[in-house]
Amino acid sequence: MLRNPLEDWGSALWRVALVAVLGALVGLFVGHLWWGIAGSLAIELVRQLANLNNFLDWLHHRNRRDPPDSSGSWGDAVSLVSRLHRRKQFHKQRLLQMFRELRRSTASMPDGVVALNADREILWFNRRTAELLGLRRKLDFGISLASLVRVPEFASYLGKGDFSESLRVHPRIGEPTCLEFQGVPYGERQLFLLVRDVTRQEQLETMRKDFVANASHELRSPLTVIAGYLDTLSHESELPHELRAPIQEMRRQSERMTAIVSDLLELSRLESTSEPMVGQSIDVAALLTDLRRDLLARDGTKHEIIVSIESPARIVGDAGQVHSAFWNLVDNASKYAPAGGKIMLRWWVDELGGHFAVSDTGPGISPEHLPRLTERFYRVDPSRARDLGGSGLGLAIVRHVLQRHGAELNIQSEEGRGSAFTCHFSRARLKS
Amino acid sequence: MDTIELSQHISRRFNEDLERVRAQVLSMGGLIEQQLAKAVSALVEGDSTLGEAVARDDFEVNRMEVSIDEECSRILATRAPAASDLRLIVAIIKAITDLERMGDECEKIGYIASRLATQERPADKYREIKHLGRIVQSMVHDSLDAFARIDAEAALKVARQDRLVDEEYEAIQRQAITFMMEDPRNIRRALDVMWVVRALERIGDHAKNICEYVIFMVCGKDIRHVRLEDVETELAQRGVKN
Repeated sequence: MLRNPLEDWGSALWRVALVAVLGALVGLFVGHLWWGIAGSLAIELVRQLANLNNFLDWLHHRNRRDPPDSSGSWGDAVSLVSRLHRRKQFHKQRLLQMFRELRRSTASMPDGVVALNADREILWFNRRTAELLGLRRKLDFGISLASLVRVPEFASYLGKGDFSESLRVHPRIGEPTCLEFQGVPYGERQLFLLVRDVTRQEQLETMRKDFVANASHELRSPLTVIAGYLDTLSHESELPHELRAPIQEMRRQSERMTAIVSDLLELSRLESTSEPMVGQSIDVAALLTDLRRDLLARDGTKHEIIVSIESPARIVGDAGQVHSAFWNLVDNASKYAPAGGKIMLRWWVDELGGHFAVSDTGPGISPEHLPRLTERFYRVDPSRARDLGGSGLGLAIVRHVLQRHGAELNIQSEEGRGSAFTCHFSRARLKS
Repeated sequence: MDTIELSQHISRRFNEDLERVRAQVLSMGGLIEQQLAKAVSALVEGDSTLGEAVARDDFEVNRMEVSIDEECSRILATRAPAASDLRLIVAIIKAITDLERMGDECEKIGYIASRLATQERPADKYREIKHLGRIVQSMVHDSLDAFARIDAEAALKVARQDRLVDEEYEAIQRQAITFMMEDPRNIRRALDVMWVVRALERIGDHAKNICEYVIFMVCGKDIRHVRLEDVETELAQRGVKN
């Protein structure tokens, strides 16, 4: 074991003194005292230098050679250094092993992972990412990721800094490959980016959408024929009396089916266009007046309709879609409000943006239905709704249209008191 | 002490400027890649709306060119870059011109695509154009990758693909001539198709130019109008592998 360094130093001094005394004795014996002392000290010095040389030599090749045998302070130094060296080797091995484990585990991940620094330059990525994005290991470290994945949407996703949502892109247009990116911020403005291959899901979704669109399209032509004949039949004066009611009912149902099919078509059209729409300026005041007129023309004075336009602001968006969304809301209100009830249309602007609200004095909706209300064919009261002849797709259309306009639908309702459907448009969508 | 910090500060800002302008060039490149892919798919699928969209969006490419150009002039004027920084700026100024031309060619293809969409499509559904389009797209993609990585080796590889494009061009031209001789009613469409093929071939040339700028950036050697074989030996001497 190591001795106390102070003790060590003392014994070293004693040793030098002993050598000097021995030298002096030998010097006295041959008659040259000083030569004897100098000679013995020189021999000691050479010995120490040789030890130092051995030590250095071992330090240089410490991985391959055994430590030299030395006594005294040199021996202590050697054992101290070799201990430090062993400990360092041990930790290094352990770290290396951990790192290898980590790398192996990330390499076997089915999804890609990229670590980016604050400037969105690549710090590290796993093997799957290299396959998905065509990156090259080592070579691409330090390069800005947007320089290598040059899809414009991707650059704006990275630049936006809002990673609450994921992004789906087709890195190569015309090819089915579809990737989903999800950013996960960590540390100081660093970012983990998860990359997933969602080609298969995307294809399935496209197939579903295509199926709905094609099916509704194919259903339309036979329906038109049926509706046409029923229409003619119902006006036939020689029709036997007992057939009159069934034919009327058939006509009503075929009309309903036509409405469902055309709503389905509209929905699938809304879903299939992902392109940002070209903005037209929509005069909300005129739109509300039109809605009121259309409603009066259909239902007469069944309801009291109050229109309150508190701002001349316009919405930038697709006029046809906004009209269809607003009409669906108004139509719903008219269906559920009892005869003599009130329907209020209100358009106002505040610092948050523009708001369009339709409220009615209908039976209201109980809270458990609210979250699912915009799902397709979701019915609060199935038996009742069918009598009213809706398609069950109205609110789904409203939600889609609003989504495309970056707007939100808010539903407030109290059972027995009525409901209020409010569309919130952001300020960016408004034009004065 | 102060002066050192200041100079570090300046060089850091300078680096940021260079990085930003490089990123802008690549995002312009990304837009071109998208435009090209859309233009080819508009033609092959006979999608007139997509073709019109391509022709309409070309202004965005032009806008980016102007803004990058201004940025480069600003860097030249205020930072007076030297050596490799100067080569980078010079290469960028040249590259954006090529990118902008590519954008114009895409616009042309988009325009023709929207016009051809109204006509009956040929039996082979523009298979050759699809094929050529894929080669050119991968050239553009790889040349921009080489630019991003400043990789002379990859750039040289892309530049060599240009011959492939030329061969395809020849083949389609021969085919178009056969069509025209078979039935003179085909002439109009065949001419339009030739315009598209010509535009694609030009885009390939511009991609090759970008590769040349990459090699210029790395080696400081202008390799325009030099045979590729000579460039290869030259690069090999400089230690860049083929």
